[in-house]
Amino acid sequence: MTAVTASTPSSPFGRAWRTVRLLTTNPWTVIGWPLVILGAIFVMTWTIWWLIFASVDPADLTETADGIRFNGAVSYIFVYMLVISVQAVNLAFPLALGFGSTRRAFSLGSGLAFVLLSAAYAVVLTIGAWLEELTDGWGLHGAFFRTFYLATDAGWLAQWWIYFCWFVFFFFTGTIFAAMYVRWKALGLTAAFVALGVLVVATIAVLTLTATWHLFWEALAELGTIGIASAALVPAVLAAVVGYLVLRRATPRG
Amino acid sequence: MSTVIRVDGLSKTYGAGSGAVHAVSEATFELAENRIYGLLGRNGAGKTTLMQLLTGQEFATRGTISVFGEQPVENARVLERVCFIKESQRYPDDFRVKHVLKSAPWFFANWDAAFADELVERFRVPANRRMKKLSRGQLSAVGVIVGLASRAPLTFFDEPYLGLDAVARQLFYDVLLADYAEHPRTVVLSTHLIDEVSNLLEHVLVIDDGRIIIDADADELRGSAVDVVGARSAVEAFTAGREVLHRASLGGLATATVAGLDDAGRAAAREAGLELAPVSLQQLVIRTTTLGDAEPENGEPA
Repeated sequence: MTAVTASTPSSPFGRAWRTVRLLTTNPWTVIGWPLVILGAIFVMTWTIWWLIFASVDPADLTETADGIRFNGAVSYIFVYMLVISVQAVNLAFPLALGFGSTRRAFSLGSGLAFVLLSAAYAVVLTIGAWLEELTDGWGLHGAFFRTFYLATDAGWLAQWWIYFCWFVFFFFTGTIFAAMYVRWKALGLTAAFVALGVLVVATIAVLTLTATWHLFWEALAELGTIGIASAALVPAVLAAVVGYLVLRRATPRG
Repeated sequence: MSTVIRVDGLSKTYGAGSGAVHAVSEATFELAENRIYGLLGRNGAGKTTLMQLLTGQEFATRGTISVFGEQPVENARVLERVCFIKESQRYPDDFRVKHVLKSAPWFFANWDAAFADELVERFRVPANRRMKKLSRGQLSAVGVIVGLASRAPLTFFDEPYLGLDAVARQLFYDVLLADYAEHPRTVVLSTHLIDEVSNLLEHVLVIDDGRIIIDADADELRGSAVDVVGARSAVEAFTAGREVLHRASLGGLATATVAGLDDAGRAAAREAGLELAPVSLQQLVIRTTTLGDAEPENGEPA
């Protein structure tokens, strides 16, 4: 007869790491499917380019190549990661608590998982961007990874940083809305959207009433893709902190 | 025997003012180590809320909770020794049964993988099926398997019988007893199917309308009341001045469930030509919880 006894206490990192593993229990969800879908979107986008180039006047080629730098095909993977983080907080959180995790360990672990996934996916996209440049836009002067919004000429590390920042932004934006939902259900989610709406409208109002839109656009141009991506870390960190504070007093319900 | 859970004046109220819901009211009790406890009560009586409070998932409005000598909220030292798969437990959308069994060992130091595999086989749970596609009974079986294989020093089973067929219920009963004998731990089992588990339980807590109305040893409780059956006039004469939990009559015959009948009382009943019949735990709980003016073990009426 062996009585069930307390085992050696785990470390704070060990407890957080369990959450990282829990969120990647089914690797197809976080690694397999996103890459498969990204590949499929790439093939479709490339096919569309090919059709476009096949049908334009050769004289307009440069202009066309410029035009397709504005496509948003790669943005799918950012939105996918936002969904991943929403699911993590909404569904993995209740399970983690059932397994005896603390909210703190879950929050630290999910944050760690999101930062690691951001870093890894940023590497994938940077490799894509490198290949894109190497093949002169996949043989068609196309821009799938190095779109107008994401490209930089400041080197591959800077390119990686831009992707990384945007992944972090989307992951943590997802967590705060999911945390509001877990804590206060539909009411919390509605309040979060209303707050966001008010913020956006207020910003627009201020820029319009003070006639300072030109300053806004100048600031964006000044920041460039690196600056804007880095700035996205500010709301991301804010969302991470507020998300934890919301989750800290949340009770998973059936 | 050491105390695993100590609860004092515990209340959980949702909302405020006249619309407030008192899910748990002024509960005070202790659970000792390495015993099997039944948390019995009707649907909505406060069983799940109480278990969520004990596992730090819910926050107390008033009162104190001590689990393994410490308060449980956000306390890893306590929660690492606790397993609580709720009846309404939700799982990630992409999880299949095998993913639950793959991730559980990361959280439970005493997890027995071979035992879990054996249980999956015996409960006939399809390991490759998505959690969302499981039947109610299969979902309960997964909760039971995690609860058993985790070998957590404090394990909660929340309505483990929900949707399980008779064979699976018997299996749970047998496996729990066998594994508990080999690996003693503190088990809290909540259910409204009282007769099914009555032989399993060593100690019973009955919760009704958020109040703990019975906190007693199971054997003691079974012997605490008895049905007195006989002619209506004889039953009425006998029960005068005694504590009656329940009365029923049919024609000239009457039955009264009498509490706290000692040996002398039993002898007196027989002398009066009355028959004595045992009361099942379920009947006892029903009669105690349906009685509007039940004297609570502790706590104020909500």
